[in-house]
Formats: sequence, structure tokens, C-alpha cells
Amino acid sequence: MRVIRSLRHILWRFVCAALLAALSLNVSAGSRLLATGGVTQIEGAAGGGLSPWAVLAGTASSGEVGLTAMGTRAWLNDYRLSVGGVGLNLHDHLELSLARQRLDLTTLGGELEQTIVGGKLRLFGDLLYHPWGIWSLGVQHKWLEDGALPRAVGATDTRGTDLYLSGSKLWFSAIAGRNLVTNLTLRHSAANQGGLLGYGGDAKDSASLLVEGSLGVFITPNWIIGAEYRQKPDNLSFAEEDDWQSLYSAYFFSKQVSLTAAWLELGSIAGLADQRGGYVSLQFAY
Amino acid sequence: MRHRSRVMMLAALLSAMLMAAGCSQRQSSQALFAELGGEPGISAVVENLMYRVADDSHIVGFFANTNIDLFVASLEQQLCDISDGPCDYQGPPMDRAHQHMGLDDSHFNRLVEHLDAAMIEEGLPLRTRNRLFARLAPLHAEIMRLQ
Ligand code: HEM
Repeated sequence: MRVIRSLRHILWRFVCAALLAALSLNVSAGSRLLATGGVTQIEGAAGGGLSPWAVLAGTASSGEVGLTAMGTRAWLNDYRLSVGGVGLNLHDHLELSLARQRLDLTTLGGELEQTIVGGKLRLFGDLLYHPWGIWSLGVQHKWLEDGALPRAVGATDTRGTDLYLSGSKLWFSAIAGRNLVTNLTLRHSAANQGGLLGYGGDAKDSASLLVEGSLGVFITPNWIIGAEYRQKPDNLSFAEEDDWQSLYSAYFFSKQVSLTAAWLELGSIAGLADQRGGYVSLQFAY
Repeated sequence: MRHRSRVMMLAALLSAMLMAAGCSQRQSSQALFAELGGEPGISAVVENLMYRVADDSHIVGFFANTNIDLFVASLEQQLCDISDGPCDYQGPPMDRAHQHMGLDDSHFNRLVEHLDAAMIEEGLPLRTRNRLFARLAPLHAEIMRLQ
């Protein structure tokens, strides 16, 4: 017991030290400009809240390595989503990520958990400097902890792999002298509600090609507000699945710390209509 | 899939993107050169920038054999030209000016960060800084071409 308590104590001190370092120092930050790594979306990839962007996590550039960690929570009418994740950026060419999601079914009772490992390869371009922006190819492999509920409602699989192609570009001085970021993502996926309700289903058992998009305006270099849209498949006959939308605001205190708040409109989820609510995400980057 | 209204929203997003891009090209209020404070404004920014470069161990080495007076004059002339001021940049094209230096994105990003900090310290507002970056961003490809 004493050992565990002192371990926990050490761990806690480590976390506090890391927090303080992140807030005060600039030494270990990558050289890419503030906010050019976006935040971390709910599946662990660098992006907005719901959808990945083509940019890679953090601010690592050529010859640099970056690390991000995030914690996210969303409160919907009948559900609560919690996500923890880490991301690694190697030389701004490859991003590797790991995320863990838990969906508490606050009305129905119970919970669903899934793990997501992701990879994102920068194909070409640059968010700021290339006329076509930056383009990346991503993969997200996901598996559910306990697939009993998804199977009971008609899902075919409890693991699946999403593939996506994403493009992002920042337009300098686009709106009233402010910079605009635009993102477009095409995703190939059979995931029901992002995978939390399994993959494929009795109504449609094959993957769909889905469109995701987002816009954001940098009100200041530290503060971006915008909107997101994520198209969804509808594979299960027991309940309709809607597309997702959000309005977000993300503030970058520094290259190391950002806080995102959003309003989610996720439509009907597992038969419970009008799932909407608040979303908060905290990210640290080194 | 039930997303007719969502497709509408996506279409709205996309057209907003295009409009924003279009507006940025039509915007032609005050000449950027004047917003930068004319020649005195530009030379204050360049001088400020040089102090920051001199203090940055990651990039100062590139300037070890550079005649700083000539470099400063050339950069001022280029910024004046690129911001529609009454100058004609006479120096070498950007690819030749930077060839075989071994520059990568991390060096470029640092310089951009220093330039932004210099402009902030010289009192230039966000819109002016963003307008200048819009003109400088396309130079990245030229500068990296012969690395
Ligand atoms: C938008 C970015 C940049 C612009 C507009 C720019 C502009 C210029 C200009 C106008 C010259 C003078 C050319 C001449 O008259 O000979 C020059 C030279 C030079 N630039 Fe850049 N530059 C940029 C990026 C960089 C970066 C990222 C570095 C390195 C960190 C760099 C290092 C140099 C050096 C060392 C010279 C002098 C070469 C010599 O000694 O002749 N430049 N640059």
C-alpha cells in the first residue's frame, strides 16, 4: 500500500512538473507556428473535434519530434463520451496516435469502450505555404472492448479500419484580415457511431465513402472559432444514424497548451433522438 | 443515410470557403506598403528582425559569411516591392539567393516566427501582418527549390 501511495505521489508530482514546464517553457516546442497542428479529434488524430485534419500533431517540423496528450469529454442528452489519447509526430512526416474512448450510456445504462490506433502520413504540401495546402493519408484501426451490445443491435463486427484522405489549407488574410483554415476529409468506413456501435450492420454491411469538412477563422493567432461537419453511414436497421456537426472555439495558450470548447449536434444515437451538448478538450504538446 | 439537410450545410461550408478565398483576392483597401509604414516602417521591422536572427543559434550560422548591410538593403527593397511600394527588387531570384544552404522547413518557420514577432513589436496590426504573410508564403517553394 505504501509503495502504491508513494508511486502515485511521484506520478502526481511528475504530472504537475510537466504541466508547469508546459505552461512556462518554450524550449521543447517544435518550430512550426502556433496552432498549425490543430487540436486532437475524438479518435486521436490531429484535427478539429470530430474530424481529422491533414496537419500532423503538435508543432514538430523537419528534424524534430513532437508529442501530444489530450483529454476530452462530451456531455450529450443521454450519453457521456470520455476520450484520452496521445500522438507522436515524427519529422512532420508521420503521425502515430493511440486513443481510448468510453461512452457512458447515462439513460440506457452501461458503457461502451473502444481503442483506436492511428497513423497519418503526410503526402505533400504545407498548411501555410503550399498553394494546394497540405494533404495526408490516414488510417484508424479500432476495436471494441465488449461487443455484446453492438452485436445485439445488428452490427457485424466489433473491430474495423477507417481509411481517410485529408486536405487542409490556411488562407492568409481571408476574412477581415483574419486567416481562414479549411479542411476536407474523405473517409472510407463501416463504423457505426464512430465504431462505438460496431462495424457494418444488418441494413448495410459494406464500407461507405463519407465526406467531412470544417472551417475555422483565427480571430487572433491564439484563438480559432469554426464549424465542422462529419457525414455518417447508416448501417443498422434498429435506429437511424445522423451526420455530426459542431461549432467550436479553440484557444492556444502557447504551443504547449490548448483548450477547446464546442457545441455538438450529433442527431439520433441508438434510437435516442437529438443528441446535443457541450464538449471540452485539453491538449498538451511537447 | 439521412443527410439531405447535412449535405446542404456542407455545400454552404464549401461555398463560404470559396467566397472567402475570392474576397481575399479582391480586397484592395490601402496599399500594403502604406500599412507597413512605408520605407521607415519596413526598415524598422528588418532591423528588429536582424536582432532576433542574431540571437537565434539555430539560424544565425547561415549568415556567417553574409554582408549584413547588403542583405538588409536587399531585403528592404524586396519587402517594399512585394508590398506594392515604389521599389523594384534588384537582387537575385529567391531560389538562387538561397541555393544549397541546406535550409529546411524548421529554418523557414523560425524566420517567419521572428518576422512576426518583429512586426508585433513595431506595432503592426494582425491584418497587416497577415497580408504580408499572404505575399511571402508563395516564396517558400522558390526558396526550397534548390536546397
Ligand atoms: C520568406 C522568407 C525569406 C525571404 C523573403 C528572404 C529574402 C532574402 C533576400 C531578399 C535575400 C538577399 C538576396 C541578395 O540580394 O543577395 C536573402 C538572402 C539570404 N537569405 Fe533569405 N529569405 C527568406 C528566407 C530565408 C531563410 C529561412 C533563411 C535561413 C534561415 C535565409 C537566409 C538567407 C541568407 C543567409 C542570405 C544571404 C546569402 C548571402 O550571403 O549572399 N533566408 N534572403
